[in-house]
Amino acid sequence: MKKLRALQREYFHALRVGWFLALRQIKRSGKGTTALIIFIMVLTFLNLVVVSGLLLGLITGSFVQFRDAYSGEVIITAAEGMDHIENSPALVNFLESHPKVEAFSPRYGAGVTVLGTLTRLPEKNERPNQLSMRVMGIDVEREEVVTGFSRFLKYGEHLAPGEEGYMLIGANLLKKYSAFADANIPGLDLLDDVDVGSRVRMTLSRKDGGIVRKDFIIKGIVKSKVDEISTRMFISNQELRRLLPINKEQLQEIAVRTDLEYAPRLVEEIKTFMGSYAARVQTSDEAIPSFLRDIETTFGVLGNALSSIGVVVASITVFIVIFINAVTKRKFIGIMKGIGVSPRAIELSYVFQAFFYGFFGCLIGVLLTFGFLEPYFAANPIDFPFSDGILVVTPTGAALRVAILMAVTLFAGYLPAKLIVRRNTLDAILGR
Amino acid sequence: MIKSHKLVKAYGEGELQLTVLKSLNVEIEDGEFLAIVGPSGAGKSTLLYQLSLLDEPTSGTVHFDDIDTSLLSQAERTALRLNRMGFVFQDYALLPELTAEENVALPMLMQGMDKKAALKGAGKALERVGLLDKRVNLPSQLSGGQQQRVSIARAIAHHPHVLFADEPTANLDSTNGELVMEAFKALHKEGQTIVMITHEEEYARHARRVLSIKDGQIVGDVRKK
Repeated sequence: MKKLRALQREYFHALRVGWFLALRQIKRSGKGTTALIIFIMVLTFLNLVVVSGLLLGLITGSFVQFRDAYSGEVIITAAEGMDHIENSPALVNFLESHPKVEAFSPRYGAGVTVLGTLTRLPEKNERPNQLSMRVMGIDVEREEVVTGFSRFLKYGEHLAPGEEGYMLIGANLLKKYSAFADANIPGLDLLDDVDVGSRVRMTLSRKDGGIVRKDFIIKGIVKSKVDEISTRMFISNQELRRLLPINKEQLQEIAVRTDLEYAPRLVEEIKTFMGSYAARVQTSDEAIPSFLRDIETTFGVLGNALSSIGVVVASITVFIVIFINAVTKRKFIGIMKGIGVSPRAIELSYVFQAFFYGFFGCLIGVLLTFGFLEPYFAANPIDFPFSDGILVVTPTGAALRVAILMAVTLFAGYLPAKLIVRRNTLDAILGR
Repeated sequence: MIKSHKLVKAYGEGELQLTVLKSLNVEIEDGEFLAIVGPSGAGKSTLLYQLSLLDEPTSGTVHFDDIDTSLLSQAERTALRLNRMGFVFQDYALLPELTAEENVALPMLMQGMDKKAALKGAGKALERVGLLDKRVNLPSQLSGGQQQRVSIARAIAHHPHVLFADEPTANLDSTNGELVMEAFKALHKEGQTIVMITHEEEYARHARRVLSIKDGQIVGDVRKK
């Protein structure tokens, strides 16, 4: 017990003297050097947070776009094996009366063939300028509320509510605008010579065996990094309902806007209301294609690997900084030991210095990340072909990285101090 | 009392071995002012390092009062240096980031004294060496003589049993050298044990006992009355 108390006292004195020395060493060392070390720590922190955050942000950006541009927080589609949502009118009534539903956009859909050249017949062996695609009948006003659809219009004009005889077409269906036009992908059909103002012929096979053909004028071209926008055609829902066969009240998709936190609960409520087999009801996260999830996982692993390298680099940086600091003060370390300052106090003085550098590096890093970088990338996403990359960093993730960096910093500060302090006192004093 | 018995210090091994101290027996009584003199390479500093526990002998023992220091751990030797010894080095050896009073207060802080009391004690010690007005100056803002006096203040502030001084006047001009010697004499008068290395006879004459060393052996031991 007595020994333990003595040990406690010794540790306390060492802590006090270590702090006393560290504070003065930091205070009276060169301001430029201190600023440089902290700057390196800031960069190290940003390396840990930003590199993995941007990698994840590439995919998260596409998830966000998928939700904003297409699915809403909840997307209801036809159940597996079905071509429409069962009992759509009841579901629409349910959504209209639900207090948590902010807006929803019902969509009709059908597979169609579109002929792009109407002025002449194709030559023998010439492939007709046509392709098969999906046409969606949208309620222009509701769609605007849910997805802000008009922002995807790159050329031409938007459909007026209920307008007939006009359509919008996704840019990736047109040779002139598609990102894949130069790729020469076998089997990839694109419409040639079709632009705003072109007349195209849509052919729709009805379930009752009837075939409906109608000519449309391309009123506008829509483009987005979400395929569900760029690879579809859009006409007014009234027109498609008229063209659709048999039961025109059956919807193919409903995108629902609600509180993101509430979405899983709303999904359950809709499932309870509709029954399990009437429709597929998913949150936007659940509806994200699995390959994107795979990319997310891969990028996560990649981000962690890069972060690990960052941690190693950080530890080496701190080690070198403290080592050089300790080596250049080797004589003074020897003197301190000579006059009776305990090695532990000297080591702690370097650990405190490392803590200072790490703490302020992380603090500035956190302020930069949350105060500047995250909002900056949110406002100015990186333009990648498949998504608008944002910076994904959560307070928990940042806190974890701060903890890792601090732990590594403290160890990297302690180790070189220990190596120098353990050397022979007299040799240190005499500089040999 | 400090007592060395058959103290040997050798460097290197085999044929290259150089024996610097050759079985020295030295006794230093409490309250003595001892000057160890001798030509360069005689082993003066090496003897001081053994007696002050800054180094370990190849063989032989050093007793500090009744403590056989060869049986102490490094931590115990450090604690003994902290609590019972004070050091004045040739090149002052002040910590550059600490002010004069902080340098002086450091051993007292390490002893567990609170900061306020340690700084007060440092102030008193600086006053004794005539440098109270320089207490907030950094070593770089002091002259060589002033730095050495701060170093003396640091060595005595915690009231050590023995003050070890390794060529304390070597880097000083004669005026500052005399000031240091006057400080030592005043301390000695108060009963402070002082062990000083010097190669300058004019400073050795201030001591009450002069131990001459040559080639690692004692060749003279003169006590003044």
